[in-house]
Amino acid sequence: MTNHWNDLQHTDVCMIIGANPAENHPISFRWLLKARERGGKIISVDPRFTRSSSQADIYSPLRSGTDIAFIGGMIHYAIENNLFHKEYVAKYTNASFIVKESFKFNDGLFSGFDEGTSSYDKTQWAFETDKDGNPLKDEKLENPRSVFQLMKKHYSRYDADTVSTVTGAPKDDYVKICELFCSTGQVGKAGTIMYAMGTTQHTVGTQNVRSYAMLQLLLGNIGLPGGGVNALRGESNVQGSTDFALLWGDLPGYLGAPKAIPEHATLKAFLEKETPKSGYWINKPKFYVSLLKAWYGPNATKNNEFAYQMLPKGNKNYSHISLFNAMYKGELEGAFLFGQNPVVGGPNAGKEKESLSNLKWMVAVDLWETETSSFWQKEAGSDPSKIATEVFLLPASASFEKEGSITNSSRWMQYRWKAIDSRGEAKADLEIIHVLATKIKALYKNENTPAAQPIKALHWEYGHGDHPDIDIVCKEINGYDYNTGKQVVGFGALMDDGSTCSGNWIYSGFYPEEGNNRSKARDSKNTDGGTNFLNWSYAWPANRRILYNRASADPSGKPWSSERAVISWDGAQKKWVGNDIPDFVPTKAPTDEGGMNPFIMLGDGVGGMYAPTLNDGPFPEHYEPFESPIPNVFSSVEMNPTVKVWDGEFNKKGNNKDFPIVATTYRVSEHWQSGSMTRNQEWLSELVPHMYVEMSEELAKEKGIKNKDKIVVSSARGDVTAYAMVTKRFKPYKLKGGMIHHIGMPWHFGYKGYATGDTANRLTPHIGDANTMIPEYKAFLCNVRRAD
Amino acid sequence: MATEYVKYVDVTKCDGCRACMVACKNWNDLPAEPQDFLGTMQSHANVTADTWNVLTFVEHENSKGNLDYLFRHSSCFHCTDAACEKVCPENAISYTDKGMVVVDQDTCVGCGYCVQNCPFDVIQLKNYKDENGKEYRKAHKCTMCTDRLDEGLQPACVTTCHTGAMEFGEKDDVIRKAEKRVNEIKERYPNAMVYNPKGVGGTHTIYVLAEKPSVYGLPENPKVPTSAVLWKDYAQPIGKAMVGGVAMALAGAFVANKFFDKKNGGHEDNGGGNHE
Repeated sequence: MTNHWNDLQHTDVCMIIGANPAENHPISFRWLLKARERGGKIISVDPRFTRSSSQADIYSPLRSGTDIAFIGGMIHYAIENNLFHKEYVAKYTNASFIVKESFKFNDGLFSGFDEGTSSYDKTQWAFETDKDGNPLKDEKLENPRSVFQLMKKHYSRYDADTVSTVTGAPKDDYVKICELFCSTGQVGKAGTIMYAMGTTQHTVGTQNVRSYAMLQLLLGNIGLPGGGVNALRGESNVQGSTDFALLWGDLPGYLGAPKAIPEHATLKAFLEKETPKSGYWINKPKFYVSLLKAWYGPNATKNNEFAYQMLPKGNKNYSHISLFNAMYKGELEGAFLFGQNPVVGGPNAGKEKESLSNLKWMVAVDLWETETSSFWQKEAGSDPSKIATEVFLLPASASFEKEGSITNSSRWMQYRWKAIDSRGEAKADLEIIHVLATKIKALYKNENTPAAQPIKALHWEYGHGDHPDIDIVCKEINGYDYNTGKQVVGFGALMDDGSTCSGNWIYSGFYPEEGNNRSKARDSKNTDGGTNFLNWSYAWPANRRILYNRASADPSGKPWSSERAVISWDGAQKKWVGNDIPDFVPTKAPTDEGGMNPFIMLGDGVGGMYAPTLNDGPFPEHYEPFESPIPNVFSSVEMNPTVKVWDGEFNKKGNNKDFPIVATTYRVSEHWQSGSMTRNQEWLSELVPHMYVEMSEELAKEKGIKNKDKIVVSSARGDVTAYAMVTKRFKPYKLKGGMIHHIGMPWHFGYKGYATGDTANRLTPHIGDANTMIPEYKAFLCNVRRAD
Repeated sequence: MATEYVKYVDVTKCDGCRACMVACKNWNDLPAEPQDFLGTMQSHANVTADTWNVLTFVEHENSKGNLDYLFRHSSCFHCTDAACEKVCPENAISYTDKGMVVVDQDTCVGCGYCVQNCPFDVIQLKNYKDENGKEYRKAHKCTMCTDRLDEGLQPACVTTCHTGAMEFGEKDDVIRKAEKRVNEIKERYPNAMVYNPKGVGGTHTIYVLAEKPSVYGLPENPKVPTSAVLWKDYAQPIGKAMVGGVAMALAGAFVANKFFDKKNGGHEDNGGGNHE
C-alpha cells in the first residue's frame, strides 16, 4: 500500500475494485465505516454483489478481466470533464514530458513490437531529451506529443458506452461512479482505491494496477491521507515475503537478481547496467554490496567482487508456472514446498498435481498433511504404486508457536512473540532453514567442485546448535558496520565498499541500536503522527507511513489543503514537519534541486503517468483474458501480446462455444487460501462446510438448475462438482455480442479436513501476467450442467 | 431496581463476517454442527442447542429496485416478559439482575415446554446420555455470557464484532442510540426501524433493522402466547398440586403439543432463521 489501514478513515471516496474487504480483510471495514461516519462514500465494483457491496453507496458489476476498460473510461471522464488536479499533474507527474515521434499506437499494438519474440523494443517509447539527457517538457500539457495529450488520445476510445458494452457495467451506474470518484480530484478531497487479487491475477494484472495509479495521479490522490493505491495483500506476511525476494527476479529489497548475460558478468558491469542515473536508486551499489556482505561475510571482499560470482545466475523464467512446466516435463529432480499447497492453490491444479509425481523427491513443510504433501495417496485420487516420488513432511510451527515479524499490507513490520510451544517435532521455519543450511554446509565442507563453492562461501553464524538466535538475524537484516559491529541507523548509512552489511536495505533502520528493535514498538497513543501511529511497529522505509507524502504539499511546500495535510516545509526550522516521517530528504527545501520531486524512487522524481519500462506498453490497454467470451472491442489484438504462452497438454485452451460462461474464483471470510488451516478448524468448517458455485437465477433457469442442486462446472482443463447457489447477486451481463453469463466460486476446497470439496483451481489456466507471471486465476471460460 | 443492560445490534453496520458465531462457540465451548448445504451463505437454518447464534443472510430487492444483502446476528432476545420463563414448570428459567434470561441446567428437566412457547424459536433441546445409558434432555440458548458480565466483561460476540455493529450498554442509552441511528439511515433504508417488541415487554437484544421484520423472517408483533399464561398461572399450579411436578411437566408438554402448539394456534408464526 502507499498508505495504510488506519488511514482509510480519512477518505472521501473509497473505490473497492478487484477486492472484497468486508469478507477478506474485515478489519479494514472498521476504518471504512469510520470514513462513512465522516461523510465518506464507498463504491464497490465486482463481478457479483458481495458482502462489501452490501455496505457500498454505489455498486456496479464488472465482467472479470475488464478493469482497464473500466478505469480507462474513468481516466477519459476525468480529462473530458476537467476533474483532474491540474497543477499536481503538471508538476508532479511525467504528464508534461514529450515523447519521441517513434512512439505510436495502432490497433492494439504499440510501436516496436516483434512478433517473433512477442516483445517490444522499448527504446521506441523513450522521451525527447535535451543535450544533457533531461526530458523535454510542456507544463501547459498542450503539446500533442506530451504524455498528457497522448494519454488523452489513447483513452478517448474509452467512452462510457463502449466501456459499458465491454464490462457489463450499466451505463447510468458507471457514470455515477465516474462522477463520484472523480470528485476527489478537487483540492481538499482524497479518494482511495483498494484492490487485491481480483485486480492482479490476470494476464494484464500489472497494467490493471497501472491504470489505478494513473487515475490516482490524475486526481492528485497520491501522498494524501485517505488517498493512495492500496493493495490488500492476500496473506498476513506476503508483503514481508515479497520484500525478501519471494519473486524469482528479485534479491531482498527489490534488488534485481543477476542473469547469465554478458552485461552481468562482473559486479562492476552489473551495477553499471542496473543502477539508474538519477532518483534514489542511484544508491543501489550500496544496498547490493551490503547484501553480499551479509550473505558471504568475510568471504566477500573487495578483491573477489564481494563474492558476486557466488550468486546463482540463470536466464530462464523461474516463475511458479515455469517451474511446474519443468516439473511436468520431468526436468526437475526435487522441490521444497514451504507452506505451499499447489494441489489446491495452483493454477490448472490437476496438472500441477500430476507434475509433482515426476519429482524424484519432494519436501513439504507444513503444519500437517495437506492435499499437496499427500498428493501421492489413494485419498488424493492417485495410485501410489505408480508414483516414485519420495515425499518428506517436515512439521512446521504455527504462527503463535514461534517468534518473528510479520509485515502487513501497510508495510508495518510487527514483531510477534511465541505464545505456546509447538507440538511434537514441529519447528519454526527459521530453525528448519538453519538446520538445513548448517547440515548442507557440513556435507560440502571438504568438496572443491564449482557446485560446492557458493555453499562454502555462505557465511552462516546465527548461533550455535540447532536453535538460531533470531536477534542476530534481526541485526543483520537491519545492517551493521562490519568492522565495529555497530548497527546502522538506516539505509542512508549503507556503503558500497564492504564496510557495512544489510540483509535487506528497505528494512534498514528498524533496529538502529542495541536494545531498540522498533518492530516491537507498541505505543497505541496518538502522540506522534495522529492516526499514523508512528510509535506502533516500524513501517518501511524509514517508518514512513504515507508514501510520497511530499506530494501532499504544493511545489512551494505548503499543503494543498489543510483538510488533507501530512507534511509541510517549515522555513524557520529548515525542515519538513508534520504527522509523518517525510518521504523525502528532511532538510531539502522546495527551492533546492529536486525540492519539488516527490516521487524519489523514480529517475525523474515525478510520478509515472507514462511507464515505458513495462513489457506490455507504457499505457494500459484493454485486452481480453486468455479465454474470453467475446472478441476484443478495442482492437483486433485479442490477448495481451507479450504474455508467455504454454500450450499443448500443459495449458489446454477452451473456446467460447464449448465454454460460453465466464468464471471467476474468490475467497470467503471463513476460509483462507487453500483451506489447509481453516478446513481443519471445526468452527470455521461449520460456517462454510460445502463447495458451491454462485450463479444467477437466469442461468439456473436456462440450465434447469434449482438452488442446492449438485452441478458440474467444466473447463478445458478439468471438472468440479459442487452445489449450486442460485442468487440475485449475479446477473447476466449485457455485452457487445449478446448476453453472457458469469459465475463464481470459492477456491478454498480440497479433499482433506473437516470441510471438503472439489478444488476450483482444476479449472483455471496455466498462463500469467506479462510482467510478473501471476496466474490468470480470475477470468476463464467454463460450462455448467446438472450433475445428475 | 437494578440497571437493565441490553445487547444492541445495528445490522446496517454488519458485514456478515460471522466472527461473532465463532466467538460464541469458542467462549462457551460448544461443538461444531456442520449442516447440509442450505442454498445460501447461511450455515444453519436456525439456532440450536449447540449453536446459540446464527448469522442470517437475506437477499432482498428493495423498494428502489436495488439489491440489499441483509445480515442479522440472530440469538436469544432475552425478553422482558419471556415466554420460556413463564411456562417452565420447574422454574429453571429466571431473570438476572441485568435483565438476561438464563436456564439453570441443574434444574432443567428437558420437558421442552419452553421450546414450544418461545415466539422466536431460539431455545432448543439437546439430547444426552448419562453413564447408565439413560437418555435425557436439557434446554440451551444464548446466555448473554452472564459469566463474562459478572467479571465486568462484555458478551463474547460483542467484544469480537469489529465494525461496532454490536454494543452492550444500559437499556435507555441503547434505545436512544437505536432511534438516532434509524433517523440517520432513513434515506438509505426507508423501512429501517428499531425492533424491541412490546408484546414481550421489550427485549434485551435490541435491533436496528434495515427492513421490516418480515423480511428477516421475524414476527411483526410477537407476544407471550395466551396459552402459556393460562397454563402457567392457572392450570399448572392446580395440576402440580394434584399429580406432582415432573408428571405435570410432561403432561404439560403433551398438552402444549396438541392444543397450544404455537405453530398451529395462539400467536403469530415465525420462521426463526431465514434464507431464500
